[in-house]
Amino acid sequence: MSATFQLVVSSVGETYFDGQAISATFPGSAGEMTVLAHHEPLITTLKEGIVTVRTLEGVKEFPVRNGILECADNRAVVLL
Amino acid sequence: MANLKSIKSKILSYKKTGTVTHAMEAVSAVKMRKGQERALSGRAYAAAALSVMERLSGTADLSRHSLMQEREGKIALIVITSDKGLAGSLNSGVVRKAEREAGISKDKTIVFAIGRRGGEYFSSRGYDVRMRLQNVSDSVSESDMREVTDKVLELHEAGEITKCAVVYQNFISTFEQEPTVRNIIPVRPEAMRKVVEGIRPAKGKYAPQKGGEKVHAPASYTVEPDTDSVLSVLLPKLINIAVFHALLENKASEHSARMVAMKSATDKAKEMAHNLTRTFNKVRQAAITREVSEITSGIEAMK
Repeated sequence: MSATFQLVVSSVGETYFDGQAISATFPGSAGEMTVLAHHEPLITTLKEGIVTVRTLEGVKEFPVRNGILECADNRAVVLL
Repeated sequence: MANLKSIKSKILSYKKTGTVTHAMEAVSAVKMRKGQERALSGRAYAAAALSVMERLSGTADLSRHSLMQEREGKIALIVITSDKGLAGSLNSGVVRKAEREAGISKDKTIVFAIGRRGGEYFSSRGYDVRMRLQNVSDSVSESDMREVTDKVLELHEAGEITKCAVVYQNFISTFEQEPTVRNIIPVRPEAMRKVVEGIRPAKGKYAPQKGGEKVHAPASYTVEPDTDSVLSVLLPKLINIAVFHALLENKASEHSARMVAMKSATDKAKEMAHNLTRTFNKVRQAAITREVSEITSGIEAMK
């Protein structure tokens, strides 16, 4: 079993994803980036694009307009 | 003595009024519960956004960002009131608080009015009312509020205003609301924390459990591309949440204030109907007594 981390993707009114993910690819403002488990503490902005989340069950995609990604303690939070 | 017919019609009209106010009370009660639940739904997001800001403040000096700098200048007041009346002292409390906040300097204040009452009040008194929103539905979404916050941020960017505060009726419990001013520009982490913590009412079903969530920050973050651009995305979001949340609070307050006002109106209508029924019975009894005595005296006369 591959290592997972907790990922939360939410906007004010709605939580789009809350669970364990193997990896997640974000459209970072400085270029596309992929987060794996135990990522170093990071705060970055996101630009328009698609967030791709790979979980044990399959792949999910969410469109984003702008947002913030925060990684810490094996947990990633995306605020849309 | 008033005649029987007019008393009877009065009783009837009191009872009808009572039925109407009772129905309004029930409607407000349902709306209030829904409003409270909605107000809570944004909490997780707000807490997360706040913790990002607090963690950033451990990594870098935030006070350089223009939205966090304290400067002298005009203030934008976002005044949140209801569209309709019959809600006790709800709106008067808010406008009085807002007026005190503006001080005597009308020319240093720009008003953004959400809700008809506040808009009417301030424009009739010669304030600079930049925006008037009406008929904001109960199921308003956070993105609807962007219209207001974007305008405020635009003015801030252009240097026309340097401060912004939102005035609304804070929901404490069903029977208790408090007119509240929250300063949202310049952004202060402590003030924002208060807003986020205030999302739960102090008492009742949704009151916070003891302990609560704490932020423990790692020593240092990698910030990409830089602190300023992260803040430029984050702060408008927080400001928008604060305004959105204030609106939801005000909605919950409006409905509970109306519910309480309607309850006392229903009680009063019942009391009036009860008293009038007493008078009605007295008048009727007096009429019967008079008739009986007329009959008996008629019989006496015939003897």
